[in-house]
Amino acid sequence: MLRRAGSSLRHFLVERKSSAGYSLCSREAKMSRPVQARRLEGIDKNVWVEFVKLAATYSKVNLGQGFPDFPAPDFLQEALKRALSEGTHMLHQYTRAFGHPPLVKVLAQIFEKVLGRELDPMTNVMVTVGAYQALFCCFQAFVDEGDEVVVIEPFFDCYEPMVKMAGGTSVFVPLRPKAPKDGKLMSSADWQLDPAELASKFSERTKAIVLNSPNNPLGKVFSRGELELIAELCVKHDVLCISDEVYEWLVYDGKEHIRIASLPGMWDRTVTIGSAGKTFSATGWKVGWTVGPDRLLQHVRTVHQNSVYHCATIAQEAVAQGFQRELTLYGKPESYFVQLPKTLQQKRDLLIQILVAVGIKPIVPEGTYFLVADISEFKSDVPEVPNSDEPYDCRFTKWMMKNKGLAAIPLSTFYSEAHKNNYPNFIRFCFAKEEATLKAANDILQKWKKEKTSS
Amino acid sequence: MAFRHKNTRRIEGLDSNVWVEFTKVAADPSIVNLGQGLPDISPPSYVKEELAKAAAVDRLNQYTRGFGHPSLVKALSQVYERVCGRKIDPLTDILVTVGAYGSLFSTIQALIEEGDEVIIIEPFYDCYEPMVRMAGAKPVFIPLRCKNNGNSASSADWVLDPADLANKFNSKTKAIILNTPHNPIGKVFTQEELQVIADLCIKHDTLCISDEVYEWLVYKGNKHIKIATLPGMWERTVTIGSAGKTYSVTGWKLGWSIGPENLIRHLQVVHQNTLYTCPTPLQEALAQAFWIDYKRMDDPDCYFYSLSRELESKRDRMARLLKEAGLKPVIPDGGYFMIVDVSTLNVDLSGVDEKQPYDYKFVRWMIASKKLSAIPLSAFCGPETKKQFEKYIRFCFIKKDSTLDAAEVILKNWNKQTG
Repeated sequence: MLRRAGSSLRHFLVERKSSAGYSLCSREAKMSRPVQARRLEGIDKNVWVEFVKLAATYSKVNLGQGFPDFPAPDFLQEALKRALSEGTHMLHQYTRAFGHPPLVKVLAQIFEKVLGRELDPMTNVMVTVGAYQALFCCFQAFVDEGDEVVVIEPFFDCYEPMVKMAGGTSVFVPLRPKAPKDGKLMSSADWQLDPAELASKFSERTKAIVLNSPNNPLGKVFSRGELELIAELCVKHDVLCISDEVYEWLVYDGKEHIRIASLPGMWDRTVTIGSAGKTFSATGWKVGWTVGPDRLLQHVRTVHQNSVYHCATIAQEAVAQGFQRELTLYGKPESYFVQLPKTLQQKRDLLIQILVAVGIKPIVPEGTYFLVADISEFKSDVPEVPNSDEPYDCRFTKWMMKNKGLAAIPLSTFYSEAHKNNYPNFIRFCFAKEEATLKAANDILQKWKKEKTSS
Repeated sequence: MAFRHKNTRRIEGLDSNVWVEFTKVAADPSIVNLGQGLPDISPPSYVKEELAKAAAVDRLNQYTRGFGHPSLVKALSQVYERVCGRKIDPLTDILVTVGAYGSLFSTIQALIEEGDEVIIIEPFYDCYEPMVRMAGAKPVFIPLRCKNNGNSASSADWVLDPADLANKFNSKTKAIILNTPHNPIGKVFTQEELQVIADLCIKHDTLCISDEVYEWLVYKGNKHIKIATLPGMWERTVTIGSAGKTYSVTGWKLGWSIGPENLIRHLQVVHQNTLYTCPTPLQEALAQAFWIDYKRMDDPDCYFYSLSRELESKRDRMARLLKEAGLKPVIPDGGYFMIVDVSTLNVDLSGVDEKQPYDYKFVRWMIASKKLSAIPLSAFCGPETKKQFEKYIRFCFIKKDSTLDAAEVILKNWNKQTG
């Protein structure tokens, strides 16, 4: 009987003769506890696992999961091709564990520019398997049992389970929507923290705050004033800042992305996270990084060397070449950092037009490639179910996927359990898509609207 | 400015690492590097071609399925169904990870916790101990001992004492970590030896974490046996494999865990909360390479067998060179490492006043004076056995001919310079 496998196997008896000639019968379960470690408690559900499966089955137009359906830039693909054909075959072997030297060197150069301080590529930069793994390393390095971590809602959903897995407790503070000025569409800038409310979330147990700017899902780009508010609290309470800036280059309408690590008192207590997947529209390469002071990164390195140790060499080599190109073109119109947000802004505006035309109310994002919108106009097709376990927006998006073939993500995904029903009518769209995809979404929505008006 | 932030308890004492020192050394091109286990031979050309093909497909540059790219898990399930002789569900019985290292981490984080004991056989691949500690558990060591009173000619001479091993199991024992073929000794555990371990696992209801990254690298007269195929073991074993070791692409960092759904699902939970998904184009290329070799698994040209043959002759050459220099190599039955007893050289390092074990001092001396690098074996032991293993160093022989030629020159001239 296998104590490990749960009740389904408890009645399975194993009997066999060992080489010593006696038969071995497995015994009754000695322990009643499950096989898995307690750190997995409460973190087994994951919306993306389910969503990706559903989308693969039903969706004709996928504006759900956040990845581009347009190609990665030519220069990046060429960099990989070059590495494969001209590079030494040692590019297929282990590189430096904390980051391939050409990559950490160019990352240091880029971030020196944008942070306005000197950086040592060996101690101030560490490469990870996507920004996801960078987040994991930070939580494991700094969050102990009993620690609290301030998380701003809505949040990229992995923060909460990662804090939990590290034995910490997430303390949530919401961005609250202010009514937009008359006649204007709501902007992500209208979603704001209440300073007193934010201050109340900090205690002597607070280890860190997670900041995500530009913010997924809302697209909010935190202003200097808002960042100063957060910085003040971090300094006052001696709290770390884990700053997820994966969408740092995707800001629109001439807005500036401000890095909290550059604010007074913040460099020493901030780990800044970035992503090649988002920077270069190549999410499948899973190359990310952390930038910060050595006295923080040393602990991030310890987690990394005891969990994955090395990241894929050739992906790092190609990303390094991509960054080299960007360094030489920095600020110029041909820079991908200039081109991509320009292209995405047009797509954003197209999606806004599409949604407004059918009565869906978008919150205009200042950054990222996501847009949250109010689908109240279409609620009649998906009736409310009183006392349902499932938040309304979840049921709506599932229905929409199965019946209209259009995939989007419910906003409740990005809220803690207690707050999942706070904004039942909002869903998130990803607009990093070919124009044809956005037009196809328009066709679906137009048709749907017509069906509603005629019924 | 006040700053109270130090590391979390879970990583206390886990910051240092043998590789930090010895891989830095390897960067010096004047040193003949037989230390870190990385091939300097080229991976097969079709493997590199498949990567070029994959990267040219737009959607393969974006996220794939978190637990493993569909074509890869399908290919892995086919290959391992054949090897294990049982049905393996690609979606529930397999997890693709960032190297076998990532599989070890996912397995330990998923299944091991505070209060658990984990049996580790010494010498051991050095990450097992810190990973077990990071999970809050206690490592319990048991050494392989040399049968013939220290006169070891083969990795087969190194064995576990069954009574000793049995004593290590108790009600707190959550798992035993098995590594076969074994790094660093190169031992290929026999059916009988695996049965002893299996019997204990079943008796004590213990899990088995089986690190089989060198599974294809077994030399004539030896057979790699998967402990998961022994009766009663499938349901309690997670078997770990590596693309890096299978295809000589350590820099691709792809590995996998294979086992019953009721164990793998917990590894998947860890994975979805740590890095979520592995790189897509590398997984696609690996899948295609596996299909190529799966189709010729009856053919001696299959890379799984041809690499092994290539390495066997390198092994034999390495052994010959070491013997000629007066060293005593332990001929490995598998893997691409060879341990060598250097005490026969009687190099007096007592003048070097460090508290370091002899093998660390020897390797540093050898790097400085002979321009040849290796890894000290006591890096792979727990604190109690350092004395037993400190006369050994480990050489890696998955090296191209010119590297072995350079090593040959050093070894042939060794005696001329000493004494």
